[in-house]
Amino acid sequence: MSRGAMSTGIPRYVRPRPDRVGGLTSTGWSILLVVAGVLTVEAASRLGLISTVDLVPVTVMAGRAAELVTDPAFLTRQLLPTLGLIAAGFAAAAVLGVAVGLLLWRSPWWSDALQPYLNIYYAIPTFAVYPILVVLFGTGPVPILLLATAFSVVVIIANALIGFRSVPVAVDKLARANRLGRRAHLTKILLPAAVPDIAAGLRLGLVYATIAVLATEFILATRGLGHFISQAYHTFHTVDMYAGILLICLVALVLNLGVGAVLSRLDWRQR
Amino acid sequence: MIIDPILRGPRGRGGLRRLLPPVLLAVLLVAGWTIAAAALNSSVFPGPGQTVDRLLLNLDATRFQESTADTLLRLSVSWLLVVAVGGAIGFLIGLSRFWTDVFSPVVYAVYSIPKIVLFPLFLVFLGLGEASQIGFAFFSGVIPMVLMTLNATAGTPLAPLKLAASLRMGTWPVVRTVVLPAALPAIATALRLTFGLTFLGLIIAEMFTGVSGLGYELLRNVVLAQMEDIVGGVLLIALIAVAPTTLLRVLEMRVARRFGGGDV
Repeated sequence: MSRGAMSTGIPRYVRPRPDRVGGLTSTGWSILLVVAGVLTVEAASRLGLISTVDLVPVTVMAGRAAELVTDPAFLTRQLLPTLGLIAAGFAAAAVLGVAVGLLLWRSPWWSDALQPYLNIYYAIPTFAVYPILVVLFGTGPVPILLLATAFSVVVIIANALIGFRSVPVAVDKLARANRLGRRAHLTKILLPAAVPDIAAGLRLGLVYATIAVLATEFILATRGLGHFISQAYHTFHTVDMYAGILLICLVALVLNLGVGAVLSRLDWRQR
Repeated sequence: MIIDPILRGPRGRGGLRRLLPPVLLAVLLVAGWTIAAAALNSSVFPGPGQTVDRLLLNLDATRFQESTADTLLRLSVSWLLVVAVGGAIGFLIGLSRFWTDVFSPVVYAVYSIPKIVLFPLFLVFLGLGEASQIGFAFFSGVIPMVLMTLNATAGTPLAPLKLAASLRMGTWPVVRTVVLPAALPAIATALRLTFGLTFLGLIIAEMFTGVSGLGYELLRNVVLAQMEDIVGGVLLIALIAVAPTTLLRVLEMRVARRFGGGDV
């Protein structure tokens, strides 16, 4: 415990959070952490501490990634198919998820019947069914799409259900007193009330769809970004592998931030 | 016209009647599966009976037994490491609001990367064997464990801390009697969720590489187009996942009842 605390007698755990530690704000420290990580990789590789077969400098990864993004063959065979599958799987899961959420909210029987399965869904490694889908539908886009939808739909259902259930009883009584029709009830009360929770679910759903597409491509596929990385690994193209990994990190970050920004605009609770 | 389940008031039904719909649904699904399999009568679409028979047959074979044992061992080791390492790191960071603000954005950024694409790094640095499978399973679980523990610890309500301060309690007694009990319900939830994530990471790792393990068995049977073996394997994996999850859920509810907690 520092001298200041002794003199004022305020225990550490209730003192206000300091603005700076060691002259840096918390954001400064976060940036420092990331920069230090990048520099460590760069130095370890440049100084030959780790062989270039295993690790390449970050600058080399970035250079190769920039080359790949401007290469039409890479764009049409790897990047665009992956993005297309993520978008399609996510869109299907979004529509299906909100619809099933609504059904479960309307029907107590279905909600009772499905709830235990929804609870344990993410405990089961869903990717285990990928081999089944491959045997049934081949190694094309169909099994990837099905798995991406299946993997992301449940989190969307769960959040939509929370949203629909968040309508206060008083509001529902008011709607009933005003003889609101089924359709008006849905568009005027239910959906607007649930939008923040649905948005939270969609945000997670997008992350899940991305994971599912990349993982299935990675395990077994004939094209796509995930396949590109696993291929580069198997053929010892270390630079390509790291460039692909870097690209995916960037894609994930941009998707996350972009969609996060759109969805938080929908969130009236934060205004 | 109207609609609302909430307006019907609390459903005054006992526990047993609540169990009826899910059980009925399961029975319907198995029946549908049986009928579909019988109608198609195809070797790539086995019925439930055939699948369970094949699974039991497989479980008698030494190689499959070894694969199952390998998976169970790897899962236990990596999950225990996730809980110990992730829990400790998250708790320690969460004790300081400043360092929570430093680490949260960085850990969140790592969390949002689809971890699977980092798997080659594990192969490169840990080799093609068990170490990289356990390492990847650990990595899949430890980041969420750190995040959830960190949030739980940092979210300790201020009022009891102020009370402790006015009682002039030292830092460690406060950590033990205030912070830890406040964080426990969320940590119990984290135990359950990270179990699933660790298992998922392990199965993916085993699918991509390896010479044993249930994930490896699944993918090997794709090449052989052995649908009965695959479906049986998936069934076994689901069973392995569900049993501990159910126990952890019970633990979670007990902890929540004892220490108070939100969503149970």
